Amino acid sequence: MTVTATTPAAAVPARPRTGRRAPWASALRVLVRKPGRIVGLAILVFFALMGVFGPYLYPGDLAVDPEAIYAPPSAQHWLGTDFAGSDVLQELVVGARYVLLTAAVAALATVVIGTTVGLVAGYHRGLADSALMRATDFVLTIPGLPLLIVLSTLWSFGQPLQMGLVLGVTGWGGVARAVRSQTLSLRERGFLEAARGLGLPTRHVIVRELLPNIAPFVAMNLLLAVIQFIGAEVALFFLGVVPFSSSNWGVMLNQAVFSGGVMNSPEALTYLLAPLVCILLITLGIVLFLDAIDELFNPRLRERS
Amino acid sequence: MTETLQTPAATEDRSAEVSVRDLTVVYRTDRGELPAVSRAGIELRAGEITGLVGESGSGKSTLALSLLNAVPAPGRIASGSVEVAGVGDVTKLEGKRLRRVRGGALGYVFQASQNSLNPLKTVGKQLLDLGRSHEVEDLQGLVRRARELAERMGLDADRVLDSYQHELSGGMRQRVGIVLALVLNARVLILDEPTTALDMISQAAVLDIVRAVHRENNLATLIVTHDMGVVSEVADRLAVMYGGRIVEHGPALEVLQRPSHPYTRALIGATARIVGDTTRARALPGRPPDLTTLATTGCVFRDRCPLASAVCEEEDPALVEWTPGRYRACHADPTGDRP
Amino acid sequence: MIEARNITRTYRTHGAFTGPRTVHALRGVDFTLPKGGAVSFIGESGCGKTTLGKILTGLETFDGGELVVDGTELSGLSPRRRAPYFRRIQMVHQDPYSALNPTRTVGQILGDPLRMRAKETGASRREQEDRAAELLELVGLQPDGVLGKYPHQLSGGQRQRVVIARALTVDPEVLIADEAVSMIDVSMRLGILSLLRDLRERLGISLLFITHDVATARYVGEGGELHVIYRGQVIERGPTDRVIQAPVHPYTQCLLSAIPVLRGIEEPGPDRLVPLASLDERTDTPGCLFAPRCPFATDACTAERPALVRLGDGAGGADDPGGADGAAGAGDAGDHRHACLHPEARHVVAVEAAV
Repeated sequence: MTVTATTPAAAVPARPRTGRRAPWASALRVLVRKPGRIVGLAILVFFALMGVFGPYLYPGDLAVDPEAIYAPPSAQHWLGTDFAGSDVLQELVVGARYVLLTAAVAALATVVIGTTVGLVAGYHRGLADSALMRATDFVLTIPGLPLLIVLSTLWSFGQPLQMGLVLGVTGWGGVARAVRSQTLSLRERGFLEAARGLGLPTRHVIVRELLPNIAPFVAMNLLLAVIQFIGAEVALFFLGVVPFSSSNWGVMLNQAVFSGGVMNSPEALTYLLAPLVCILLITLGIVLFLDAIDELFNPRLRERS
Repeated sequence: MTETLQTPAATEDRSAEVSVRDLTVVYRTDRGELPAVSRAGIELRAGEITGLVGESGSGKSTLALSLLNAVPAPGRIASGSVEVAGVGDVTKLEGKRLRRVRGGALGYVFQASQNSLNPLKTVGKQLLDLGRSHEVEDLQGLVRRARELAERMGLDADRVLDSYQHELSGGMRQRVGIVLALVLNARVLILDEPTTALDMISQAAVLDIVRAVHRENNLATLIVTHDMGVVSEVADRLAVMYGGRIVEHGPALEVLQRPSHPYTRALIGATARIVGDTTRARALPGRPPDLTTLATTGCVFRDRCPLASAVCEEEDPALVEWTPGRYRACHADPTGDRP
Repeated sequence: MIEARNITRTYRTHGAFTGPRTVHALRGVDFTLPKGGAVSFIGESGCGKTTLGKILTGLETFDGGELVVDGTELSGLSPRRRAPYFRRIQMVHQDPYSALNPTRTVGQILGDPLRMRAKETGASRREQEDRAAELLELVGLQPDGVLGKYPHQLSGGQRQRVVIARALTVDPEVLIADEAVSMIDVSMRLGILSLLRDLRERLGISLLFITHDVATARYVGEGGELHVIYRGQVIERGPTDRVIQAPVHPYTQCLLSAIPVLRGIEEPGPDRLVPLASLDERTDTPGCLFAPRCPFATDACTAERPALVRLGDGAGGADDPGGADGAAGAGDAGDHRHACLHPEARHVVAVEAAV
């Protein structure tokens, strides 16, 4: 059967395939709509740059200066020095990479695995659903902290990738469950029924129809997972259950508290506060930026002028 | 349908229970405050059912809500008054006094009455909550009155009061909504899209009940709907809204028979009917305006109007009485073609 | 052309307190939908109309009967082999607000199925784009105006047109319209209805129209059949106008009586009928399904469930109900069937007022 149009369409010049405004332009408009979002983004970009370029700013090993242990902030050491007389600012900047990379890898692993499992389980239902959800239940029962302690006897966690993957692989259960329930409710929506009725391939339905609709949810989870995993890894290092072979914020906190610096010398306060403030700032940045996520992904909110 | 239709009693002078004057309701948007209702005026009289007809975005629900001074933010009543007999100007009331009027003098049945019951409480509990919040002393009497109303509507009162929302069918929930609206002896009943989610048989039953309850309690009733059929079944008077304005207003039978505004005419002509030539019916061109696409000068209907002329571009026609008892807001000749 | 024979669908539910319960969503539905033809199903909510639509588009399975598409019986085929047949049957959804993916533009919404279809037909990219524009024009939209738009930027009527255009991308032979206009603004409903009628006439697409609003069925179902479905059973069927003007089953009569009368222009039909009670699906009804609500029920009705028979054929009695109603064309009932032991034609719908 062929359908003939009432009016010849030949005269119509080449049409733009999609008439969306440039995505960057509308994203920018979403960001400037509220100043908090810009601040949030700026904080995140700042720390991302610190993670990427930080180590290059301070090539070589940490300088140890036994003459200036727990020195207060000065022109030479902006944030003072630690128990070994090393510059706190340098430690902070150099340590950012490990912390941020670990959290990013963990969050990414969580979200990718969780979203995939949730989508497939929710969309296919039936046997696939049961199997995947049992697996999810299993993952949810894994106690992450003890597992890491046990694993730390095997691995040194010298590389952020290892630690990130361990955190991520054990942490996706919640995301999978939430994505599954979202998928189940979206599944009954008219446009998904239509896609199935048209005979569109399953992969298309999941990737093109379902995923964009849960994207804001997934992105929010990604950012919140970053906060969660920064907290988790820093806590591990702070508790000292993981042998610390590299300098990072958790190690700094541990040293500040357990090496006695803060406990008896108020000059060392900056040594304790510096990593804490960084963690709080990142959290603040993420929370401020989260506000924009919904509008970035939802065309209705995005196009609102 | 068991009742025979009554022609509106020869307009003996009935007192107005509610009179809306010059009401303007605006919504705050990114483009500033835009009017959802513009200078609307309407009177609800005891013993009379008024039908308020309009499409989505016409402002009909906003107008109905402003009778309770309950326009949701970011909307607000910008000017005008809503005088309720024995209460005064509702737009000036606040806090506790306003709450007492809502549900007290004015009974409101919400649009999605199916969903406006609390799913976690039985109907009886919600009835008692309603009584307590209105400081009713005689809760026993309240329940008795609710029972009477429920029985009158063909509900099994005991069963309904003990039921949760999900145990009732759509038609039953709508009736429960009416019971709750009337149980505090409201004299004004406002129904917002009372039959929208119902199928034909439940719709006919609900309309039947509205008619009966209205007559027995000598209420002033306002039915807000998009469905010409629904108003023509029950209404004595008919007001048609478009783009936030009341564009035609008059006795229902006359308006249906001889619509004087081109929009009313088109709306009747666009109604799918069970008799008559199917090829004669015509859809309106264009789409109904919303807040952002509404014309700011001139007549709001002119883009879709077959009779539009130059004057319609410039001047917003006012609602005037063109023949005794009938009002219209249009520059064109009132006696256009019949639909 | 599709043909359904005795389609049944039964659900077993397990309520928390009520125990297992069997719901007969469809109790043997037959119909034949010829090319360019129309069949309308009308009934109350919860009567199985929507289930029927889902079964016909392959979204639901059926547990009895046969569904024949272009001469091929589908129940014997594997799901994979069925797919190409179900592709020829497309659905127009009730709710144009949820039927379009809010994150995709109209161009993308039409582009995906067109690209999939192009794999079979070998259409080039350019041809696909032309086709998208052509389809939009066909459903009465300006391609340049809407291709780049997101669904929320369109009105309800425009969205429903996009939904129809999307259904047409895979060159279907049948459209199933389930309450296709009930959520659209009144002033634009008629436009959608006449579009559906147009598609029948111009493209020979058959239409299965599911609704509770009988008046709309008249606008698209010209020359077609009207089936009245009650609790999963078709209790009356026949030529659309014939069933509307001279229904013989009391349920049909109640349903038609409930249509609002446009006073001033119309007058109520003389025999309007109201059911005795509201629908209660929980009670088991061994006899006629409508008997508990029927004003004319007799003992015989509660004892035995009447089958669908041709009007005038023996089962219900020797009297000829058509004869009483001269206007409905006595003697020539067409293929008018009913499932009532006491069929009697009544005029319940409104008549045009003499002004």
